[in-house]
Amino acid sequence: MSENWVLQEDEAVELLALLSTSARIQMDEPAHCAPSRLLTATERLSGMIAERASPKSRDFLLENVARIPRLHRMMSDVEGYTKSLDERCRAVAQFLLRHSQIDAGA
Amino acid sequence: MTAEAVLGAIQSRRVVREMSDEPAPREQIEAVLEAARWAPSGGNLRPNRYIVIEEAETRRLIRLASPGMFQRAPVLILIGANWNVVAEHQLPATDRALLIDVGAAAHALGLASGPVTSYCTAAVKLILNLPRSYSPELFICLGHKAEKARPGMRAWKRISWRDLTHWERFPPG
Repeated sequence: MSENWVLQEDEAVELLALLSTSARIQMDEPAHCAPSRLLTATERLSGMIAERASPKSRDFLLENVARIPRLHRMMSDVEGYTKSLDERCRAVAQFLLRHSQIDAGA
Repeated sequence: MTAEAVLGAIQSRRVVREMSDEPAPREQIEAVLEAARWAPSGGNLRPNRYIVIEEAETRRLIRLASPGMFQRAPVLILIGANWNVVAEHQLPATDRALLIDVGAAAHALGLASGPVTSYCTAAVKLILNLPRSYSPELFICLGHKAEKARPGMRAWKRISWRDLTHWERFPPG
């Protein structure tokens, strides 16, 4: 497990602000905007830490951000959007497995 | 001014979600505000007031409180509404024509613009010192489109005005 410090205090506070304000506006927004807000947080977190991350994580972060499905896709193709989110989750899980102590084949 | 020029400007205007650091000149910002001043207003009561935000730190704070603000715009214009006037006269808090005029004016001046409505009202009111009777209705991000901006939202299918319009009354069925 990497012990690099990749997030600065200001950036952590920025992320906290984003998540808190997202929680509030979600009370007024359509429910389908919620995944988009979380993905925005994902994108901003990736942007904050990519430069300081190890090369293996940086590659994953950049590719993951590039493949985040856009909100308009959800509005026009819910099924495709959901599949795309599943793909992202599988990619995250694969990355975690690859860099964990777990032997996935066991 | 030709009809072609006006219609061409309407057709080429886009909402811009990714902006560069290039500043927007003050005279252009003022010209956009002048266009807003000429926008229609119910009963000519003008319940809207504008706050122009150029200061980098204030823009940063607003962006932190605005999950829907993807732009890092050099200028933000908050359109605020005086709810004493809005409620008394049952007006729309922000006339849509105002948004259209502001976007068109920015485009005509060579500026990119994008509206943002997803922000935390309580946080924005605090950051901008809005009086209790005023609500933040909308931010307009002003600036220039980023060179490497991702393509905007494509039309789900190609439509013309004919697809959206019926003459005289809605067709049966």
